[in-house]
Amino acid sequence: MDIFLTRLISGMTAGSVYAMIALALVVVFRSSATINFAQGEFALFTTYVSWWLTQHGWNIWLTLVPALGLGFVMCAVAERFLIRPVRKRDETAVLIVALALFTGLNGLAGWIWGSDDKVYPRLVPIGDDSFLALGGARLYYDSIFVVLSLVLVVGALSLVLNKTGLGLQMRAVATNPESASLCGIKVGRIFMISWGLAGVIGSLAAAILVPVLPPGQLGLPGMFHMLIFGTVAALLGGLDSVKGAVVGGLSLGVGLAMINGYGSFFGGSISLTVALVVIVVVLGLKPNGLFGSRRLERV
Amino acid sequence: MTTVQSPTPTPTPERPARPAARSGPRVVVRGSGAHRAAQAVVLVLLAAVVIWGGSLDPFGQGQLTRAAIFALAIMGLNFTTGYVGLLSVGHSAFLGLGAYTTGILVVNYNQTAISTIPWAMLVCFLVGLLVGIPALRIRGLYLAMVTLALGVAFPEVVARLDGLTGGAEGMTIRRTLLRPPDWSGFTLGEKDAWLYWLTIVLLVVTFVVVRNVISSRYGLAMHAVRQDEVAASASGINVAAIKLVSFGVSGAITGLAGSLFAMYIGSLFAEGSFTVLAGITLLIGLVLGGERTLAGPIIGGLAVVLIPYYTSGIGQGQASAVLFAVVLIAVIFLAPEGVAGGVARLARRWVVVVDKRPESIGRGR
Repeated sequence: MDIFLTRLISGMTAGSVYAMIALALVVVFRSSATINFAQGEFALFTTYVSWWLTQHGWNIWLTLVPALGLGFVMCAVAERFLIRPVRKRDETAVLIVALALFTGLNGLAGWIWGSDDKVYPRLVPIGDDSFLALGGARLYYDSIFVVLSLVLVVGALSLVLNKTGLGLQMRAVATNPESASLCGIKVGRIFMISWGLAGVIGSLAAAILVPVLPPGQLGLPGMFHMLIFGTVAALLGGLDSVKGAVVGGLSLGVGLAMINGYGSFFGGSISLTVALVVIVVVLGLKPNGLFGSRRLERV
Repeated sequence: MTTVQSPTPTPTPERPARPAARSGPRVVVRGSGAHRAAQAVVLVLLAAVVIWGGSLDPFGQGQLTRAAIFALAIMGLNFTTGYVGLLSVGHSAFLGLGAYTTGILVVNYNQTAISTIPWAMLVCFLVGLLVGIPALRIRGLYLAMVTLALGVAFPEVVARLDGLTGGAEGMTIRRTLLRPPDWSGFTLGEKDAWLYWLTIVLLVVTFVVVRNVISSRYGLAMHAVRQDEVAASASGINVAAIKLVSFGVSGAITGLAGSLFAMYIGSLFAEGSFTVLAGITLLIGLVLGGERTLAGPIIGGLAVVLIPYYTSGIGQGQASAVLFAVVLIAVIFLAPEGVAGGVARLARRWVVVVDKRPESIGRGR
């Protein structure tokens, strides 16, 4: 039983992180109808900036301010000057630009800070006894912190989307950009803000996940797997649904923890494959995910 | 540019009569003496480059072999992603599948390296058909996700099947097992030269085959499917068959490249050579060289092999990644048809090749 609880806790922790990345992807998809393949690398870059500031004596919490701000600016600028001009052409062009950003940001981070792994400090320092005993399992404080962060992010995002004028505009653009534009909404500005928000969420997720999830260090290849898990979570829940991202992320995290724990063949090294089989099955059976809205296509 | 001409070229009436009198591009009729001469010059130049490559030192020759192998792999990707518009991020899996088919047959079943090529292509063709099945229902971004899944899953599956593939430690093909066949006249010591010429010959053969397929009725159908599936289907094209078969053929071509890659590199590490990052590299090469062009994959192959090599000293080895990003964005914004297409467009300012006007409309091509 305590092993089950331990696995459940680690699954919830990982799942919260996947859910946060999925949220970033969902916010972008709702505005631009594209998956931002470079989302993970934007986050990687800002996390390097945050790490670099801690090396200069900054408090780790304080470094989040410029890091998240940079995440907002970078994503918004990328949307305005790189994505939007090619959006009208076709999906391939958008994807190629995203892949270029993916390669370029990764290379740039390596160019500036070197390709060796960095030790990134924990936002919540934990000692040997900083856990709650829970029926034999240990619930470390940083797991609680990760789950709480997800709750906060979802709460804040829902508040923005549902209670503010900006959120109303964002929802209008998500439903139908042309009608929204006819109502006087500056659609381009909403695109930029959406991308920026996604950048903030992604950067926050990265800062939280780096010390918590294996390998526990900040390295160049690290965010790619996170992006894949986040994408699976978003696809599972439906690419345009906030609720879907959370449900998808948590169920993916817990599901993988259970499969890795109890499945003999599927264990350990093959978890990405399991996650991706989920993608293919979901896309085959329910292309819009669990909570996604159907999109009609006019020929 | 594509080699498919519109069925009815529409030159202005006076153009064939006095082409040089007007300012503007020079008009060359396809199949005329001048056109044949130009083609001959290009062929001679290419042959000179190939022969020059054959006389290079072993390292330079190895780089060219590698570039030719990647050109083949990108040619395979071009077949489905370029011509049919089915975006694939995971073609690294076909490269790996071809390589491991060759590796396993050579190491475990004592086959000669060259005899494994058809098997590698067959395996990749069948897997390509299988991967093509999701492409019947989903498109664009979602298809990219499925192919991404393929690309990410491949190294993990290889690591898991360690009895067959050597798992995470990799698989080493001993050099003596890659002995050139007796009829070739190459000795074991000349294995690298043999591989260079083998790759070049296969590249040329594949180039000609792809060129002919693309300008055939089947090629027209591929274009039609890319532009509008509904319209294509309304014109009597079996869209499902086109998609499946072109995914299979695409896999087979990239598998051929993989088989050669196994002979070239000698030791196979799924986590090293065949990750999804390799698939992204192939896609970068394709876009950079030029989608839906014949020369594009060759330019792309040269770029993805030579640029990282020459920039490895700059920026802690990361300069090539940044450079690729900049070039890709420049290509997308300035020359969406890639380097090959961009050069062709520039060249059209001075020289235009037009089809000979058909004598009678009734005799189709």
